[in-house]
Amino acid sequence: MGEVLVVTSGKGGVGKTTTTANLGTGLANQGHKVVLVDTDIGLRNLDVVLGLENRIVYDITDVTGGHCRLRQALIRDKRLEGLHLLPAAQTKDKTAVSPEEMKTLCEELENEFDYVIIDCPAGIEQGFRNAIAGAHRAIVVTTPEVSAVRDADRIIGLLEAAELHAPRLIINRIRPRMVRQGDMMSIEDIIDILAVDLLGVVPEDEQVVISTNRGEAVVMDPHSRSGQAYRNIVQRLLGKTLPIMDLEESSGFFGRLRRMMGLK
Amino acid sequence: MAGRVVRQRKRNCLPGDLDLVADENTVLIQRTLRSGQTVHYRGHVVILGDVNPGAEIGASGNVVVVGALRGMVHAGMEGDQSAFVLALSLQPIQLRVADHITRPPDGETAQADCPEIARIKDGVVTIEAYWPGGDRQGK
Repeated sequence: MGEVLVVTSGKGGVGKTTTTANLGTGLANQGHKVVLVDTDIGLRNLDVVLGLENRIVYDITDVTGGHCRLRQALIRDKRLEGLHLLPAAQTKDKTAVSPEEMKTLCEELENEFDYVIIDCPAGIEQGFRNAIAGAHRAIVVTTPEVSAVRDADRIIGLLEAAELHAPRLIINRIRPRMVRQGDMMSIEDIIDILAVDLLGVVPEDEQVVISTNRGEAVVMDPHSRSGQAYRNIVQRLLGKTLPIMDLEESSGFFGRLRRMMGLK
Repeated sequence: MAGRVVRQRKRNCLPGDLDLVADENTVLIQRTLRSGQTVHYRGHVVILGDVNPGAEIGASGNVVVVGALRGMVHAGMEGDQSAFVLALSLQPIQLRVADHITRPPDGETAQADCPEIARIKDGVVTIEAYWPGGDRQGK
């Protein structure tokens, strides 16, 4: 029986889809059977981020509507054998699926896969209710900004009310220099308000934009800092305890020299 | 020694009639209020936890937050001018007492590191440091 995780945030644009793609790719790369489910019906992105948009024939609404079998709708990843995608529909909206249908679907998926990761849309309405319906645990993604943290707090309240207790937090797109200068919320500030366990912290990284445009997950890039952060998060999901990585943007001799002199 | 009945000792009770000093209709909430969660109560409200930004408390009586009050609070909702708001860390988005609405001053907000109490004094909502001592406040 697999574990069903929902990746949610409340706020849009904080990195749910990127996180879903990277956690799924990372777990599949460690040998597990993973399926990623896009529940952002009408505004699907998970297929683009994985570079699989050309291979979509059936989507989640076809499965729940009985127009095709689940196996027909699942798309295998280009590179990793254990990674599959169940795409959303682009031409309908979130009323096309109900929470009960999602629950049934998740029960079917968890029989076949080690991990079912659900990419939740932004908001707190039908899309959110659909996405959490079949989940065992939640991962909340936020950025270090007041508006994102406010929305994350709301979402955590709604998750607890839906009996999805102990959600874990990923803080995305953090800039250590701005935190040091007091221009950006720190990890401690955020945990102080949200009061949930920290799953990981991902630094701001241009490589994410580059990889997304290429349809590749940054977790597979050995040189990328955000990739390393996602790899660490995957290890924590698998039960390992790892310290939060050093987020400083430029390590290496000149980086440390500049920090000592007070520059950058 | 099971089965021994321990009689309540009268001398531990408050002298005189308890009704004169105790207020009924107080609700105790033993967790943090998250954004979007609201409490409205005809009486006093005590929160053992924080009140996060986006959460709201409305009480016809007083509000006591044993934690950080960062949300919206309205004490004396039905017009009681003697109502107060007390918090270990008073940093509300907006604070209302009876028919007065106030907000933190614009710009730099220096956080006091002591509990504070907000109530109407001389027709204006005033915030003072709270010292233990019951009704010997700010005299």
